[in-house]
Amino acid sequence: MNTSIEVRDLRKRYGTTTAVDGLSFTVAPGEVTGFVGPNGAGKSTTMRVILGLDAADAGHAHVGGRPYRALRRPLTEVGALLDAEAVHPGRRAKDHLLWMAHSNGIPARRVGAVLEQVGLASVARRRAGGFSLGMRQRLGIAAALLGDPPVLMFDEPVNGLDPEGIVWIRGLLRALAAEGRAILISSHLMGELEGTADHLVVIGRGRLVVDTTVSDLLAAASGGRVEVRTTRRAEAMTVLANAGGTVTLTDNDALTVTDLTGEEIAAALTRAGVPFSQLSPHRATLEEAYMELTRESVEFGVAEVHP
Amino acid sequence: MSFRHLLRAEWTKLRSVNRWLLALAAAAVFTVAFSVLAASGGSTDRQPDVAVGPDGKPVADDFHFVHRALTGDGSIVVRVTDQQNSHPQAMAGVMIKNGVTRGASYASIAVTPAGSVRMMADFRDVEKHAGTAPRWLRLTRTGAHVATYDSTDGSTWREIGAVGLSALPATAEIGMYVSSPGEIRLERSAGSTSVGAESTTGRATFADVRIDGSAASSWTSDDLIQPGRAEKDGPPVGGTAGGAGTFTLTGTGDIGVNEPPDDTVQIGLFGTLAGLLVLVPLGVVFVTSEYRRGMIGTTFAAAPARVPVLAAKAVVMAGVTFTIGLAAALAAFFVTQPILRDHGFTPPMFPTPSLAEPRVLRAVIGAAVFLTLLTLLGLGAGAVMRRGAPAIATVITLTLVPMFVGSVVPAAAARTLMLITPAGGFAMQRAKPATDWLVEPWSMIGPWAGLAVLGTYAVVALTAGGWLMRRRDV
Repeated sequence: MNTSIEVRDLRKRYGTTTAVDGLSFTVAPGEVTGFVGPNGAGKSTTMRVILGLDAADAGHAHVGGRPYRALRRPLTEVGALLDAEAVHPGRRAKDHLLWMAHSNGIPARRVGAVLEQVGLASVARRRAGGFSLGMRQRLGIAAALLGDPPVLMFDEPVNGLDPEGIVWIRGLLRALAAEGRAILISSHLMGELEGTADHLVVIGRGRLVVDTTVSDLLAAASGGRVEVRTTRRAEAMTVLANAGGTVTLTDNDALTVTDLTGEEIAAALTRAGVPFSQLSPHRATLEEAYMELTRESVEFGVAEVHP
Repeated sequence: MSFRHLLRAEWTKLRSVNRWLLALAAAAVFTVAFSVLAASGGSTDRQPDVAVGPDGKPVADDFHFVHRALTGDGSIVVRVTDQQNSHPQAMAGVMIKNGVTRGASYASIAVTPAGSVRMMADFRDVEKHAGTAPRWLRLTRTGAHVATYDSTDGSTWREIGAVGLSALPATAEIGMYVSSPGEIRLERSAGSTSVGAESTTGRATFADVRIDGSAASSWTSDDLIQPGRAEKDGPPVGGTAGGAGTFTLTGTGDIGVNEPPDDTVQIGLFGTLAGLLVLVPLGVVFVTSEYRRGMIGTTFAAAPARVPVLAAKAVVMAGVTFTIGLAAALAAFFVTQPILRDHGFTPPMFPTPSLAEPRVLRAVIGAAVFLTLLTLLGLGAGAVMRRGAPAIATVITLTLVPMFVGSVVPAAAARTLMLITPAGGFAMQRAKPATDWLVEPWSMIGPWAGLAVLGTYAVVALTAGGWLMRRRDV
């Protein structure tokens, strides 16, 4: 795994503000790693340190086992989109990519190829100043893909994209990961990563909150709960409670049951002659899982203030 | 990643923003247009009836001459017994000259109160040695060859120098002369320089005068003097007294190259002042526009070695501004010279300058170098400050304010100002030697001093910019 990103004990201060505080994680090839945290959590700072733009105060961030500044032709090893606005408005889209290509000795034909890939081929000769935010995001993604790098980093790539664009970028990220690339994608909304990310690195206040796979996180958040739909709620609650379950009313005709398997619930209700229309294991969304994580950290914070 | 790649990248950046290409074209147009304006506003009242030397250059040729016609080879020996200290560069000596027409070919040897024995020929110094009056002087003609000697006792002679004067006819005037240059008085105030020269009168006594060869029997006395000056200053004060081999001469005026300080090449390149107002901001913005939009992050992600990035920017910018600047300077030179001739800058006082003259070529190239270095200073300032407006304001202020201040303060202060600010770079556009006689303060320092001052500024700014770029977070 020579081509992945490795962040180790990273610390970065700006004046008296600690932006990143002892952060460690890795990004593996062939996966989309979501990098999640509220605004100001240190995501962009971490990415800037990985790219060698800002210097770490302690620890390190390596790409392919080396610090970024040691890379000879960095665009062919890491592609990054940090800020879609970082384009001179007077420059044509193709010229913006062309100077980048020249700087790393990348053949000029790659410019046309990546513009095609992100759907900007028809506006290649238009000035970036006239682009919508969505078009600029696509241009930034084209720039990241220019050197055909095995590692890609995108900072909030979904920002400003229309629904069609969001669907497009999810497909693109999945496809890039399927080609074996390591992909790090940051977001302050966990929901944006639903169905895209394989792995999650969640940070808050510059520190790691959790580093896990999406499936583990969802399983933990689902917690063996089963949803039951029935028109005879009162009877069903009594029957299930007597059978040893913990029951909560979640909707007009829905109950959430824990401590009983689906099979046990079905047997108990059938035995008691209570009809039910649906019996399904609860699937938590990433958003719920994230809320649960952050709620814990919020509660923890409150407990500290009022012991 | 090689430096060649970086150069290509920066060149692509520069050529792909239309507004920047427009600015480059505007810089060239402004430079030429403003030069034309400066040339059209110029005028001169320098004396038109100036003497012209054998090489066509304007010369001063004013002195008192007591002489005899000498045919063929021969020599003159005198003992200068006494010389009044009327001016350090006053001369008392002997001369052979093609008649008494001002500007005619000659060779001479004289002592000066400044303490030198000075041989001249055709208005230029041939040799100089230490020595004062009293002193023996000898001048010998052999065909076109003239040699001079001095001696402290009249028997042991030291050769001072020798020249070949092809323009000397078979019969030439040989004799004693006294000259004494005017005392220059210079006043600089609020944008004007007034220069006055107060004439001085030299006096010297010659003894043991002897001419060998077939010379006319009688002495003739002449005052060579510029016609215009004669009217202003009254009749010539030259005179001769004595006899029996002893003469006392009084004379006024100077002998030597008399180029006016006004430099038509410099006037014709003045438009770089307008060109720099466009090029300096361009140099600044070539760096700061990247900071303004965060594009510098993209640049440094593509090329993590930051000093080479700044170097590539500087090389690309220097190449482009030098090319544009040179084209504009050449155009300005060719367009303004006819205009200046129409405004009175005519030969012989103002010989038509040619690019074949090294000093003219140097001034035209100097204008391009001046624009290039100022643009690089802007680029460096942009790298240091990272914001366009303050960087532009700093460089433009450092360049223009000393220009204006320097033209109203006393000469010494003006010279200092030119030696410590980028404004001194204007001196690179001067074809003639440095002079205190003009209102333009940068005329006071030579072109190489101007190059050194502005070059230092540009190098320091770029070095500081590179150092800061490497040191700080983007």
